[in-house]
Formats: sequence, structure tokens, C-alpha cells
Amino acid sequence: MVRKWTIWILISLGVLSLLPFALIARARTARTAEPRIHVFPDMDNQGRYKSQQVNRLFADTRAMRPPVEGTVARGQLQEDDHLYRGVRSGEWAAGFPMKIDREVMERGRERYDIHCSPCHGLAGYGDGIVARRADALQEGTWVQPSSLHTDLVRSRPSGHIFNTITNGIRNMPPYGFRVSVEDRWAVTAYVTALQLSQNAAIEDVPEQQRANVQEQ
Amino acid sequence: MSTDNKSTETPFVFPKWVDDLRPLVGIVLGLAPVYIIVLVWFGLSPKTQNIGYSPEQPVPFSHAVHAGELGLDCRYCHNTVEISAHAAVPPTATCMGCHTAIKATSEKLEPVRASSESGMPVRWIRVHDLPDYVYFDHSAHLTAGVSCVECHGRVDRMERVHQVSELSMGWCLDCHRNPAPRLRPAELVTRLDWATEEDREALGARLMEENNINPRTDCSTCHR
Ligand code: HEC
Ligand code: HEC
Ligand code: HEC
Ligand code: HEC
Ligand code: HEC
Ligand code: HEC
Repeated sequence: MVRKWTIWILISLGVLSLLPFALIARARTARTAEPRIHVFPDMDNQGRYKSQQVNRLFADTRAMRPPVEGTVARGQLQEDDHLYRGVRSGEWAAGFPMKIDREVMERGRERYDIHCSPCHGLAGYGDGIVARRADALQEGTWVQPSSLHTDLVRSRPSGHIFNTITNGIRNMPPYGFRVSVEDRWAVTAYVTALQLSQNAAIEDVPEQQRANVQEQ
Repeated sequence: MSTDNKSTETPFVFPKWVDDLRPLVGIVLGLAPVYIIVLVWFGLSPKTQNIGYSPEQPVPFSHAVHAGELGLDCRYCHNTVEISAHAAVPPTATCMGCHTAIKATSEKLEPVRASSESGMPVRWIRVHDLPDYVYFDHSAHLTAGVSCVECHGRVDRMERVHQVSELSMGWCLDCHRNPAPRLRPAELVTRLDWATEEDREALGARLMEENNINPRTDCSTCHR
């Protein structure tokens, strides 16, 4: 005969055995700030460094070593003044060091939208969302991004605009360290196109299409 | 004498009620293996272990504000994501481009300013971390048109980044075997809220055809 208390033991064991599942269910739904437990460490963490990891051997703790100052990697000697600095015979270059075709223009637009539009706005009037937010927050330290359609900025040679992107200007931060040289020229080309588009006269439209534009 | 006393005692006999325990022990021993297997299965599954990890960061940086409200493109900060395996976490200079002027005295940004002055990097804590024997490449996925959202979820709504995918081998392979429903035109990969009227499966199948996308499933793809 099975006694009553054995039934009770069974029931309480049954209930207790559900407890780990409740904890697991919670772990599945809740966020945790604790790193996972590696029950079997396998070779999950090997004795080598991956990008952007910490290495205390160096004073600045970067495992990725920045190049030693004053050194040039092979093939990285940036001799071409026009391409790398936007300068030709000591003056800001007016042209482009590469062919500007539709593909470059599209690339330029994409990069402009990513890197410049937050401040300068999609059309370049200096009304990007970050500029507007800074205004709304009444940040005293904030300098309004220039409109790219003022006479001054329109008169800048492309080498100057390229340099502005690379090194920043006055209160604008530099972008040289995270936008590649080709992309910076593509953005420069797109900025030039934007400037033309916002200051076009009716004479710039091919004759056959003028009527079309004037109607609108 | 004590020894004599012991020998005259009755030997230990299991009390009668122990008999009643026998079915109980039988049931418990019978169920135990099943129980342990199910427990380990659920407890050690990557769904339990990996999803939801959200470490506290040294700076309360919010993607919901920067990528969501301000609408900054992911590539404004994670600028290497399209061209290299590693999606770089931005250096201090990227933050300071705006924060020398915006919230320039905010207490929350103190570690960023300190880093800018000293040249020591901000110690961001890694969220997603594959085992070191796995090779993963961001650029291969982005150029094929796999959006961040397929693997990282709606980061643009997260105050603090948390992991939403298992990042297990099964999870990688699920997509490598059938990527079509999770592909999109490559120029839209950073638009996390992108949606289309078109059937995703059909669109994906067309993109795979057009761009010759064929994720491999042999071991050396990810273990090299
Ligand atoms: C963080 C906000 C911000 C971003 C992003 C930004 N700029 Fe600027 N930009 C400014 C500010 C602010 C000025 C005005 C600087 C001043 O007058 O002190 C400026 C000025 C300029 C000027 C006029 C400089 C002159 O000749 O007087 C150009 C051209 C320009 N930016 C181009 C760009 C391009 C191209 C990009 C994208 C690669 C870009 N900017 C991204 C904030 C920004
Ligand atoms: C203003 C700069 C900025 C922008 C824009 C930005 N991020 Fe980040 N992101 C960061 C920083 C800083 C970190 C490191 C701190 C953290 O984990 O919150 C980070 C971390 C992450 C991580 C976690 C990395 C890890 O450690 O595993 C993911 C995933 C991520 N970002 C995805 C995105 C996506 C997707 C977008 C576009 C919607 C985006 N980020 C836009 C700055 C940015
Ligand atoms: C393109 C400009 C821009 C960049 C780049 C940027 N931020 Fe911001 N950030 C803002 C703006 C604008 C706000 C204010 C948002 C608000 O409060 O409405 C802000 C707010 C913040 C706040 C909250 C401050 C407070 O006191 O409420 C923190 C923290 C912060 N940012 C961290 C960072 C970090 C870390 C980075 C670099 C990875 C970064 N930001 C890069 C524009 C930027
Ligand atoms: C196919 C899935 C997938 C896609 C798509 C993806 N990621 Fe990741 N991401 C990962 C994985 C897996 C890791 C962990 C990598 C590791 O541990 O080596 C990671 C790590 C990161 C990190 C941490 C740094 C690193 O590289 O380890 C950042 C930042 C990040 N992703 C941002 C992004 C952004 C931004 C996008 C979209 C532009 C994106 N990811 C798209 C899977 C993906
Ligand atoms: C949402 C779909 C998806 C997920 C999830 C995914 N992948 Fe991929 N993966 C792809 C696609 C699509 C390609 C591109 C194939 C091509 O270009 O033919 C790819 C390509 C790759 C490549 C090939 C790169 C090369 O050099 O050929 C590697 C390696 C890779 N994935 C690793 C991983 C790993 C590791 C994971 C899991 C952490 C993962 N993937 C998760 C869709 C995915
Ligand atoms: C699409 C990428 C991908 C491919 C293809 C792939 N793996 Fe993996 N593999 C992974 C990832 C990601 C992990 C790490 C899983 C984790 O951390 O839970 C892993 C882990 C493993 C592990 C360790 C498991 C553990 O928990 O210790 C082994 C063993 C393994 N893979 C073998 C293989 C073999 C054999 C093949 C070929 C049949 C293969 N893998 C193909 C992505 C891949």
C-alpha cells in the first residue's frame, strides 16, 4: 500500500523540480548585465588579441597599435598633393583628381547623407536635425553649420572643400580619419552639384525643357 | 563489558515504512535522466545563455537618441562596417565632433571628455562576442544586403544595447541555408525600419539571382 506521505513527497519533489525551469524561463526573458557563464570554455577565448581589445602591455592599453609618429607604411606615401591635400602648385585646386561620373556622384550623395546631412541638412542649408536639436536645446556653445549655398562657400575651390572635410574648419570637426580619400572627393563633387542645383537659373535648363519647368 | 553489550543488541533493521518508499524511489530514478537532459538542454541552450546580455557601459550612450531620434546613420559611427570584418566602435573623436558643442558640460559625458584629453580610449564593454575559433565578416553580409536588424534587432530603439540573437552555429546556418526572406537591396541595410509591400521571399530570390549571392555552408567558411 502506498502511504499518503509518499504522495506528498512526490508532489513536493515535482514542484521543486519545476523551480530550475522557472529560473531558466526568467533568464530567457530578462536582460542581464552579467556575462554568460562558459560551462565548457572550449577555445572560446584564445590567447590572442582581436580588433579594439585591451592590452595592458602598452601605456594607452590599445592592442591595435597606431603607427609610430613620423613613419610611413609601404605604399602609403601620400605624395600626390592634389589627391591627398587638395592643393595644386601651392593653391587650392579647382578641379578633381579623378573622373567624376554618375557612379562617383551617387557615392558622394550616399556619403553626404551619412556624414554631412546631420548638421548641414539634406539640401545643404545648415538645417540638419542635429543643428535643429542643438538650437532647441539652446546650446550656447553650438555654432550654426554654414549653409553651403552662401556666396562665400560657393566661391570655394573644390580643393578647399576637400580640405574642410579632411581637417574640419573652425568649429566643424574633421572627417579625414574616418572617410576615405576617394569618398571625400566624391562628397566634394556632390556638394558642388548641390550648390549648382540650388542656384540654377532658367538659362541652365536645356531649351526644350524650359516650358516644362516654368509651368511648375 | 561494552563489547558484550553491543553484540547482544539487535542488528540494525530497516523500519517497515521504508518499503513504502520503494515505488517513490523507482519513480524518481526513472524520471531523473529525462529531467536532467531536459534541464541541461534548456539551461545551456544559446537562447538562455546568449540572448539578453546587456552590460552596463562606462557612458550611458543611447542608440535610441542618436540613431533613433536624431536618425544618424549607423555608418556615421561604425564607419568600417561595410569594408572590414570588424564593425569599429567609434573613437572618442567621433563623439567629440558634436559633444564639444552639444551637452559640453554634461556629467554623463565626463569619461568621453577625459578620454579626449588623455588619449586613453573609452572602455566600452563588448556585447556581441563569438568564440575566437569562428570567423565572421560584416562587410560580406552588408554588401550582400543583410541588414543590421536581422542580427542585432532594432538597435535604434535601444537605450542600452542588448543581444537579441543567439549567435549560435545553428542560427548562422539557418540563414545561410535560406537567406532569401532576410535579404534586401544593399543600399538599405542601415535603414532598420525599412519595410516593403513586396513579398520578401520573392524579392530575396531575385536579389540572390541578380547579385549571385550564395552563402556557403561548408565548415571552412566560418572555421578557418
Ligand atoms: C557636427 C556637425 C557638422 C558635420 C557633420 C559637418 N559639418 Fe560642415 N560645418 C559645421 C559647422 C559648425 C560649420 C561652420 C564652422 C564655423 O563657421 O565655425 C561648417 C562649415 C562647413 C563648410 C564651410 C566652410 C567654409 O568654407 O567656410 C563646408 C564647405 C562644410 N562645412 C562641408 C561639410 C561637409 C562636406 C560635411 C560632410 C563630410 C560636413 N561639413 C559635415 C558642422 C558640421
Ligand atoms: C553616435 C554614434 C553611433 C551611431 C550613430 C550608432 N552607434 Fe552603435 N555603438 C556606438 C557606440 C559608442 C557603441 C559602444 C557602446 C555600446 O555598446 O552601447 C555602439 C555599440 C553598438 C553595438 C554593440 C557592439 C558590441 O559591443 O557588441 C551594436 C550592435 C551597434 N552599436 C549597432 C548599431 C546600429 C545597427 C546602428 C544604426 C542604427 C548604430 N549602432 C548607430 C555608437 C553609435
Ligand atoms: C552628430 C552629433 C552627435 C554625435 C556624433 C554624438 N552625439 Fe551624443 N548627443 C547628440 C545630441 C544632439 C544630444 C542631445 C539629445 C537630446 O538630449 O535631445 C546627445 C546626447 C548625448 C548624451 C546624453 C547627454 C545628457 O546629458 O543628456 C550622451 C551620454 C551622449 N550623447 C553620448 C555620446 C557618445 C558616447 C558619442 C560617441 C560615440 C556621441 N554621443 C556622439 C549628438 C551627437
Ligand atoms: C549577419 C549578422 C550581422 C549583421 C547583418 C550585422 N552584424 Fe554586427 N555583429 C554580428 C556578430 C556575429 C558580431 C560579433 C562578432 C565577433 O564577436 O567577432 C557583431 C558585432 C558587431 C559590433 C561589435 C564590434 C565587432 O565587430 O565585433 C558592432 C559595433 C556591430 N556588430 C555593428 C553592426 C552594424 C552597425 C551593422 C549594420 C550596418 C551590423 N553590425 C550588421 C552580426 C551581424
Ligand atoms: C540573415 C542571414 C545571415 C546570417 C544570420 C548569417 N549570415 Fe553569413 N552570410 C549571409 C549572406 C547572404 C552571405 C553572402 C554570401 C555571398 O555573398 O554569396 C554570407 C556570407 C558569410 C561568410 C562568407 C564571407 C566570405 O568571405 O566568403 C561568412 C564567413 C559568414 N557569412 C559567416 C557567418 C557567421 C559566422 C554567422 C553567424 C554568427 C553568419 N554568417 C550569419 C547571410 C547570413
Ligand atoms: C555559418 C557559419 C558556420 C559554419 C558553416 C559552420 N560553423 Fe561551426 N560554429 C559556428 C559558430 C558561430 C559557432 C559558435 C557557436 C556558439 O558559440 O554557441 C560554431 C561552433 C562550432 C563547434 C564548437 C561547438 C561547441 O560548443 O564547442 C564545432 C565543433 C563546430 N562549430 C564544427 C563545425 C563543423 C564540423 C562544420 C561543418 C559541417 C561547421 N562547424 C560549420 C559557425 C559555423
